[in-house]
Amino acid sequence: MTALAMASYQLCRRAVRETIRQPGVEVSNLFIPLFFFFVTVGAISNVAGPAFGVRNYEGFQLPVAVLQCVAGSASVSGVVIIRDIESGYFDKLLLTPSPRLAIVLGRLIADAIRAVAFTAVILVVITLAGSGMEAGPLGYVVILALAGLFGLAYSGIGVAIGLRTGNAQAAQAGFLLFFPLLFLSPAFAPKEVFDPWLEFLASINPVTYLLEGMRTLVLDGWQWDNLAGALAAVIGLGVVTIALSLWALRTRTR
Amino acid sequence: MSANPDAAIAADGLVRAFPGVRAVDGIDLAIERGRVFGFLGANGSGKTTTIRMLTTLLRPTEGRAFVDGLDVQRHPNDVRRRIGVALQEAGLDDLQTGRELLTLQGRLQGMPRSAVAPRADELLAIVELEDAADRKIGTYSGGMRRRLDLASALVHEPSIVFLDEPTSGLDPISREALWRYVERLNREDGVTFFLTTQYLEEADRLADEIAIIDAGRIVASGSPAALKATIGADVVSLRIEDGDGAEVAVERASERIRALPGLEELRRTEDALVVYIREGSQAIAPIVTIANETGLSVLEVTLAQPTLDDVFLRATGRRLEVDADVPEPGARDASEAAA
Repeated sequence: MTALAMASYQLCRRAVRETIRQPGVEVSNLFIPLFFFFVTVGAISNVAGPAFGVRNYEGFQLPVAVLQCVAGSASVSGVVIIRDIESGYFDKLLLTPSPRLAIVLGRLIADAIRAVAFTAVILVVITLAGSGMEAGPLGYVVILALAGLFGLAYSGIGVAIGLRTGNAQAAQAGFLLFFPLLFLSPAFAPKEVFDPWLEFLASINPVTYLLEGMRTLVLDGWQWDNLAGALAAVIGLGVVTIALSLWALRTRTR
Repeated sequence: MSANPDAAIAADGLVRAFPGVRAVDGIDLAIERGRVFGFLGANGSGKTTTIRMLTTLLRPTEGRAFVDGLDVQRHPNDVRRRIGVALQEAGLDDLQTGRELLTLQGRLQGMPRSAVAPRADELLAIVELEDAADRKIGTYSGGMRRRLDLASALVHEPSIVFLDEPTSGLDPISREALWRYVERLNREDGVTFFLTTQYLEEADRLADEIAIIDAGRIVASGSPAALKATIGADVVSLRIEDGDGAEVAVERASERIRALPGLEELRRTEDALVVYIREGSQAIAPIVTIANETGLSVLEVTLAQPTLDDVFLRATGRRLEVDADVPEPGARDASEAAA
C-alpha cells in the first residue's frame, strides 16, 4: 500500500468513527430530507400529474431527498476540519510525514461512505412510501454510487472553505450553497415547464443532471444519455471541489 | 554564525516576520545531541514561533534551520520522521480514545501495524493512562491530555523531541511526573529535548543549556550554572512599598548604594530595588541603613545566591512573570508548514 493510500485509509477510518460516535449530528441530515419529502409529496402530488405530467411524484421527489441528505451530511466535514485546526489536532497531522493530500482524501472518502449509508436509508423509506424503481434492483445500486460520488464532490466545498478561512460559520455556508443549486434545478417540476431564464440556469447547474439521471432510473428505467449526464456532472463537480480543497490545503500549509 | 549541521538542532539567522512585527528576529542555535535545551522567555517573546519553524510548521522569513542535520525547508518529511512534537495546546481529537490516537499517530508516522499496538500499550503504561486508554479523550482531565500528547509525540521513538511549554497548566504532581519522564528519556535513550518554558524552576531542573529569548532575540545563553555565574555577585532584594515620595527615596538610596564597595549592578523593578553585590552578607547591613536614612519604605529584604530569575532580569530588564496565555503573532492562524 502506498503512503498516500495508507494514510488516506487511516484518516478515513477516523472520520467514519466520528460519525458513528456522534449519531445525533447526523439525525437531522436524515430527518430533514425525509420531512421535506413527505410534506412536498403530500402537498403537490395530487396536482403534479395534471400540472407537470408526472405520474409518480414520490419517485420524482426521491432524488431530491437523496441529494439534500447527502449535501447536508457532506457539509459537516468543513466544520470538522475547523475543529481540528482550532484544537491543534490539524497541526499534529501536519507534523507527520504522511502525504498532505491524505488529509483531504481521507475525509472526502469518508463522506462518500457516509453518503452511501444515508442514501440507503432514504431509499428504503421512500421505496416503502411507494416510489418504485423502474430500473430494478440495479437502479438502487447506481443511485447509491451516484450519491457516494456526490458526497465526495460536495464535501470538497466545505473542506475548501474550512481550510481557506479557518472559520466554522463560513464552512457551514457550504450547505447553504446547496439551496440555490436545488431551487435552480428541476427539483419540484420538470424543467420543460420553467421560464426560459430558469431553464437556462438549470441547464448549467450540475444538480440538474444528477437529479435527472437518478430520476430516469426511478421513473423510466435505463436511459444512458441521462446517466452519462449525471456521471459527467458529478465528476465535473468533484474535479472542481477537490482541486479547490487541495489549493486551500496548499495555501494553509505553504 | 553558520549553522552546524552536525548539531541535533541548529539555526542560522532565523527570522519570522508577521505584518508589523518580527516575532523572531535573527536567532542562531547549536544544540548538541543528547542535551536538554531550555528556551526561556515570556509570553509573546518568540518561543512558539521558533519551535514552529524548527518543526516545519512555519516557514522562516529569513535564515536556515537544521534538525538532525537536515534542512527543515528542503527535507521537511525527513525532519518530521525524526522529531516528536508536543505543542503548547495539546492537539488532541476528543472523539478518539487515547489508544486510537496513539495508534493513528504511529501509522501516520509510517510504523507497521504490528509495531504500533505494543508501542501504544507501552506508552500508555509509561504515562499512566492504561485505565483510561479506551475512553474518549474528551473525558480526560488537563493533566491526562498533556500526558497523552507527550506520548503521541514519542510514539515513533524520535531522537529529538520538541516540547512547547509542556507543564503549563499542570498541577505540581503531574509536572514532577513529566519532568522525571523527560529526565529518564534523556538519560537512558539519549533523546535530545528542545523545551520552551516560562518556568525558571523547570529550566533550572531540566536544562543542560538555556537560551533566554526576548522580543524575538536571544539575549543570553549558556548552562544554568554559567549563566548564574555571570551575575558574579550575591543578590540583595529590597521590596519597596509604593507610595508618595517612594521614587524620590529610591533615587536617593540608589545614589548611595552605588557608592558601596563590591557593587556589581543595581536594578529597579516594578516593586523592588535589586542590588548585585559581592560579599552580600557583609553588605546587607549598610544597604538597610541607607534605606532607613533615605526614607525608603522597605517591606522585605532578602539575600540570595543568583538565580535564573536574576539572570533573566539582567538579560531582559524585567522579571519573568508567568501570565495568561498570550499567543504569539501567527502562532495558530499562520500554521504554514514548510511543505
